[in-house]
Amino acid sequence: MTKPLLDVEDLRVRFHLRTGTVEAVRGVSFQLGRERLGIVGESGSGKSQTGRAILGLTPPPGEVTAQRLAFDGIDLLTASKRTLRELRGGRISMVMQDPKYSLNPVMTIGEQIIEAYRAHARKAGRGEARDRALAMLEAVKMRDPGRVFALYPHEVSGGMGQRAMIAMMLVTEPDLLIADEPTSALDVTVSMEVLRILDELVSERGMGLIFISHDLKLVSSFCDRVLVMYAGRVVEELQAKHLREAKHPYTQGLMSCLPTLANDVRPLPTLNRDPAWAQ
Amino acid sequence: MLDIQNLKVVYGTGRLRVEAVKNVSFHVEAGASYGLVGESGSGKSTVLRAICGLAPISGGHVRVDGKEVKTPREKSFYRTVQMVFQDPYASLHPRHTVDRTLSEPLAIHGEKDAEARILQALKEVGLGPSFRFRYPHQLSGGQRQRVAIARALILRPKVLLLDEPTSALDASVQAEILNLLDDLRRELGLTYILVSHDLAVVAHLCERLLVMQHGEAVEETTSVALRSGQASNSYTQSLIQASQGFSREAPAPLAI
Repeated sequence: MTKPLLDVEDLRVRFHLRTGTVEAVRGVSFQLGRERLGIVGESGSGKSQTGRAILGLTPPPGEVTAQRLAFDGIDLLTASKRTLRELRGGRISMVMQDPKYSLNPVMTIGEQIIEAYRAHARKAGRGEARDRALAMLEAVKMRDPGRVFALYPHEVSGGMGQRAMIAMMLVTEPDLLIADEPTSALDVTVSMEVLRILDELVSERGMGLIFISHDLKLVSSFCDRVLVMYAGRVVEELQAKHLREAKHPYTQGLMSCLPTLANDVRPLPTLNRDPAWAQ
Repeated sequence: MLDIQNLKVVYGTGRLRVEAVKNVSFHVEAGASYGLVGESGSGKSTVLRAICGLAPISGGHVRVDGKEVKTPREKSFYRTVQMVFQDPYASLHPRHTVDRTLSEPLAIHGEKDAEARILQALKEVGLGPSFRFRYPHQLSGGQRQRVAIARALILRPKVLLLDEPTSALDASVQAEILNLLDDLRRELGLTYILVSHDLAVVAHLCERLLVMQHGEAVEETTSVALRSGQASNSYTQSLIQASQGFSREAPAPLAI
């Protein structure tokens, strides 16, 4: 890894509320090359806010600070709105959790992909954009791209919607894809299919991928490297294949509290949250 | 305890007719725990809803304790069968305190001694008396699900219908709720029917289970067989595979 694609140092996200300041992300640092990085944690651990902060999508009144937040040498904190607009959806894309909410309900899937493409490749004509969109739908293994192109989001299943979403996000050939729980709303066998497509596209195009999930088992089987977050901090970073040798009690607890088919443990071990972990 | 024969659930008529459940049969003995597994749209939740009267029984028989259920269900039915829903954020009244939520079933059934019963119910699910006058928004997801379980148990039912009781919860909280359900079943001699898409959860809580797909029963199996990876059906096999996590080598699953 010569120059990192994404360089994050001491990222903090704060929300100033009437009841005081809540720090959702407290000093997260990592570097990302063209690899698959997983961010794992339970609800409220700050994993999604980390992903959003990178894209500048922190909802108001949130405040983002960092020592460094650079994408391919571009400082995302001081970049102009115009530069950010060009990066977002162009060189950095994000796949959200639920296709039901992240697709535009009154536009056909084809139109949405064309819109995403032409927003970044302004010189592209409609014909070219259409070809690209169809090719992209084919790349995400839609059985009949021409038919899906003309469908509205409510006419497709969750798995198809999520694949359409991935097609839209990848049509601009981004360098970095942030996937925030891309398969949590899907059935297991469907989510395996979606992951397989994501995996192929990421390795074919040499993208960097940040995969945010609460599912430690899934992340470790899919990613190269895993960051485990607890209370807004990274408590452990490890290679996915060495997950079983996790040192932090939180990671170990998360691993062992899941029932598995292989072992019948009763009662299941529960997590004793040590206040020191949050320090 | 519970006997389902050729259960059929049909919604709509004519062009809009959907057979959500087609000829599903199974039998659950008293004190046993039975799982229904499948993906969304497989009809597993509809089976539960048909048992407790939230979905129509369009054909077949549902017998509880040897007696055919009546539509609408009688009051006494709900003394025997109670349900816990998936989303603890949606299944508790947001403007009712825990105390009011728990006293409702007691009032409906004319039970006396509400005070003691509520405190007892809270204790059973591992919440202290300090939770009694809280509102749902003052509770975490796991605590809410405990309240929902307390509400289901307060009438001392024999059968508990559990519709994905842990899928809205974090992994560590899921472990706590699964342990609680395990303990309660042993202490109170309950019969469970658990619906879940998570094979590991079903194998943990149930002895026998039914795999469903597109409203039909695909295979009845035991959690022991599941654990040893035995499944005669290719669909069950693919579910077992998927539950092991993502694998780059595994053959492509069935098309969506």
